[in-house]
Amino acid sequence: MDKAEFEQIVRQYSEPLYWQIRRMVLSHEDANDILQNTFMKAWNRMDDFHGESKISTWLSRIALNESVDFLRHNKRQINAIDDGMSVADTLMADPYFDGSEIEARLQQAIASLPEVQRTVFQLRYYDDMKYSDMSKLLNTSEGALKASYHIAVKKISEFFKSHD
Amino acid sequence: MEEEKYIEELVGKRNPFRVPEGYFEGFTAQLMEQLPEKSKPRAKSVWLRPWFYAAACACVLLVSATVWFSLPEKELQQAPMAVVDQQHPQEQEDAIEEAADYMMLDNYDIYAYMSEN
Repeated sequence: MDKAEFEQIVRQYSEPLYWQIRRMVLSHEDANDILQNTFMKAWNRMDDFHGESKISTWLSRIALNESVDFLRHNKRQINAIDDGMSVADTLMADPYFDGSEIEARLQQAIASLPEVQRTVFQLRYYDDMKYSDMSKLLNTSEGALKASYHIAVKKISEFFKSHD
Repeated sequence: MEEEKYIEELVGKRNPFRVPEGYFEGFTAQLMEQLPEKSKPRAKSVWLRPWFYAAACACVLLVSATVWFSLPEKELQQAPMAVVDQQHPQEQEDAIEEAADYMMLDNYDIYAYMSEN
């Protein structure tokens, strides 16, 4: 694949990939870095892609792996309290977040989930992704994904009920 | 799912995140500028392969001959194939290791060669 062809792929998929990443990592700067890393890795691994899946699935997989790696390396900052500010407080102060307080609290609840539940919740709740597609993307059974989503939803609902 | 409905009614599904103006429009060009040129594929050393085979065969023969001639006389009097069969597996493995050392190959080279085939 030459650069011109790859440029078309970047143009086509950068926005949907960005939003997948951004919902995981919350900050625009981090999402931008991860998006660039995703396409760099895709460029370097293009020869390994033989059409076993849709290219969008392949790119999503790289993006989600990069996001999860990022979260694991920055666990303390993302998941809980950072310098006395909660995730919700940090978002409300972020110029690239124009949600309400309750939307910020939802992000905080999502950020407190383990990575798999967090990923599954984002893909199902925001992207309405079918479990069959999610199964191919995450290489996990549909049953396990449904269970993950169910648990995630319960935890988030309890978060709101306990913080009311 | 009731809990899912509860969250949807409470918060909704609106995307609350924003990006700097012109971000997506400029992203592709910025990325393409940074993209390195594709590194040339590692030239397969096809022309080396016959030499590899020849060298491998020569070394195995050399090591086998060394082992053969160092065997005690009474073992040589038995059928040759029986001698090979009775040869301890560890000695065969040692012979291969010695051949690999002689050719200055490490495991990575051997695995790389095998994966190319």
